[in-house]
Amino acid sequence: MTATADRPAPVEPVASPGGEPGSIVGWLASTDHKRIGLLTLGTALVMMVVAGGLALTIRTQLAQPQLHVLTNDRYDQFFTIHGSLMIYMVMTPFAIGMGLYLVPLQIGAPNVAAPRTTMFSFWLYVTGAVVMLSGFFTDSGAADHGWYAYPPLATGRFTPGQGVDLWIVGVALTGLGMLIMAGTVLWTALLKRAPGVTMLRLPVFSWSVVASNLMVIGAFPSLLAAVGILAIGRVRPDLFTHNAWNIGYQDVFWFFGHPVVYVMFFPYVGAIAEVIATFAGRKFFGYKFFVVSQLLFAALSMSVWGHHMFTTGQSSNYYFSLTSIALVIPAGIEYFDLLATLVGGRLRFPTAMLFGLAFIPQFLIGGLTGIMAGTPALDYQIQDSYFLVAHWHYTLAAGSLFGLFAAVYFWFPKATGRMLREGLGKAHFWLWFVGTNLTFLPMFWLGFHGMPRRIPTYLPADGFTTENLISSIGAALLGLGAMVFIVNVAESLGRPRYAGADPWQGHTLEWATSSPPPTFNFSARYPIPPVHSYAPLLDLRREREQVRSAVE
Amino acid sequence: MPFRNVFDEALSVWAPIAAAVFFVVSVVLLGAIALNRVKRREKLPFEASKNTPVELGYVVVLGIIVGGLVFGSFLWNSRLHNGVGLAQAQVTTPAARINVTAYRWCWDFNYQAAPVHVTGQCTVGDFPTVVVPAGQPVEFNLTSDDVIHAFWLPDFAVKRDVMPDHVNTLRLVFPHEGRWRGRCSEFCGTHHVTMDFFVRVVSPEQYQQFLHSGGTAV
Ligand code: HEM
Ligand SMILES: [Cu+2]
Ligand SMILES: [Cu+2]
Repeated sequence: MTATADRPAPVEPVASPGGEPGSIVGWLASTDHKRIGLLTLGTALVMMVVAGGLALTIRTQLAQPQLHVLTNDRYDQFFTIHGSLMIYMVMTPFAIGMGLYLVPLQIGAPNVAAPRTTMFSFWLYVTGAVVMLSGFFTDSGAADHGWYAYPPLATGRFTPGQGVDLWIVGVALTGLGMLIMAGTVLWTALLKRAPGVTMLRLPVFSWSVVASNLMVIGAFPSLLAAVGILAIGRVRPDLFTHNAWNIGYQDVFWFFGHPVVYVMFFPYVGAIAEVIATFAGRKFFGYKFFVVSQLLFAALSMSVWGHHMFTTGQSSNYYFSLTSIALVIPAGIEYFDLLATLVGGRLRFPTAMLFGLAFIPQFLIGGLTGIMAGTPALDYQIQDSYFLVAHWHYTLAAGSLFGLFAAVYFWFPKATGRMLREGLGKAHFWLWFVGTNLTFLPMFWLGFHGMPRRIPTYLPADGFTTENLISSIGAALLGLGAMVFIVNVAESLGRPRYAGADPWQGHTLEWATSSPPPTFNFSARYPIPPVHSYAPLLDLRREREQVRSAVE
Repeated sequence: MPFRNVFDEALSVWAPIAAAVFFVVSVVLLGAIALNRVKRREKLPFEASKNTPVELGYVVVLGIIVGGLVFGSFLWNSRLHNGVGLAQAQVTTPAARINVTAYRWCWDFNYQAAPVHVTGQCTVGDFPTVVVPAGQPVEFNLTSDDVIHAFWLPDFAVKRDVMPDHVNTLRLVFPHEGRWRGRCSEFCGTHHVTMDFFVRVVSPEQYQQFLHSGGTAV
């Protein structure tokens, strides 16, 4: 039924475009979506290590009252770059990069549409990341105005350093890169599908990429406009003595800023849907409802931005509260389908599944507290407090990041041909499960009791000490877990255990080809099987079982 | 504490709902895992990969829940702005009108009724204390001299951004005498962390004395 686990990955003698396949140039000038995808994913993981290091330093400083590991200004740079990296350079590029790697495989296409443009978008992204980080090497340090860079604070008058200029250029380059990459992947999914792969046979993951990339197309131009406005403010700070420009910036920014949090969510929930369906051994439940709910989610996401601005007194409380709470409907459908798939299944529990399962209650905490933030009477207390810090880390760190790791453990064998070690994987999972909740749960209490976000220290008399200490201990567990993961990757690459084409009994086309797949994804030896549903390999397996039992 | 009351009410309705949802999802999740462990089933409990009537019914239920939540949100919002509690503050002339100016990194409080001015350095021992009367509507007119700050009274669940070239008006009734801490909650640069102030609530008589003495005797 599946390839045997210890057979080395087959090598296809196919000429590869753009330089010798194994050489550095072969990688850096590749026009193969798998390579560009892996470069994007790898860069995002490196950026995650940097952003995580910044977060651990922040947590060290906050472990006890009045510690001075960092000066106030350094601290401000650290949370700004932590947040900016995580959003612009880690979770978003990883989400779009997963689509780049997987969508052509899942739809039976030989490559991404416009591969050179796609490679260019990767270069824009890397350059943006380097430019943003280079701020640390200027005299005044990196940007320190927070990840959404509100004027007038971020103008040349109040934050004169070059760090801010570099931040603006970095965000603009990466934002443009992601816009282009999302565009080529969307184009691929819409126009490059193999015969038989109709839109309603697109795997769940590919659909979530389609919905997500549609949001990118709608929202990222707004990011470019926002940083454009900021760039003008660097030269002419007087612009921002007018309220219209300050509040206007916030509107333009959040018109991007809210959809992007779903760009950092959809592909991960799509990955989890595949993981859960696979390890429940059955077809994903409620496919059509899931697809419609994602499109609805994407459409609604463009109409909720003002909930970030309730406290400005210049947003529409009723309208944005209505649209924000309406998001419960598509989110509720997605949860129903995930749970129904699970309840009906014969479950297996490899590491990928554990991360997928933990996502469900953890992201739920983020979602429920999000509805609170969408209710102005409650938002007036929690906005800009540690409650909000807890809320979005439950969605992004306890939620999407768990989805990211579910995806890594699930598809690593496909991309490399090697299995990750399950023992190390489970150690990583448990450290993260405990660490995440220890880190972020106490922050809800801190916020309710008056701890504002973005403060470099607090006093013993504030009464924040115990919760902060617990939180910092949790963060240490996260650091440890991350190291276990790095060891796991090194071990698996250094002392390979070969994966075979389909180690998990997957459902979708990528598991029909070799691991790693040949240059043009499918070949005479690994042809595209017939596709009759969104789970073609599961169909095939069922058919074979029926034939076998009929013979017996 | 009108704001706090609306906040407490909203929270007391919302927290049980959220807890119930979390409980149901967790039970289903753990139940699926436990059942699976108990018997390694040969057959799947249900093969179907869709059930349109059930899902449509569920969408209707979700719609009703959303309707309820939106209704709650609207109700509490209207109470905050002109309903119970704050109605007093809206219809009667405020007993105290205070112009609040935020700047990097402290606060100025100017009383409209008398030439009284309160400020400080926002360093330890020198935080400004704004004095207001208990049980009477107080109006804060918030604006900034430089960047965006925010006026946060955590004990009252009140927060408003303080923006340049814009005035946000906040009307409150402080029911009890006492002293509470206020903080800047919108990041404004290096000393954002110490941009605190205090609200001191005194009896209306003491408040008048305070005004007449030019801001000294309390
Ligand atoms: C997993 C370990 C993580 C830890 C320990 C951590 C910790 C922290 C801490 C302590 C802060 C500072 C809060 C403040 O002072 O306002 C912060 C801010 C932030 N974090 Fe994380 N974080 C983690 C992961 C993530 C992830 C995965 C994201 C995803 C996008 C993220 C996004 C942010 C953002 C956007 C900010 C706000 C930065 C700003 O205020 O401008 N974090 N984080
Ligand atoms: Cu939002
Ligand atoms: Cu501040």
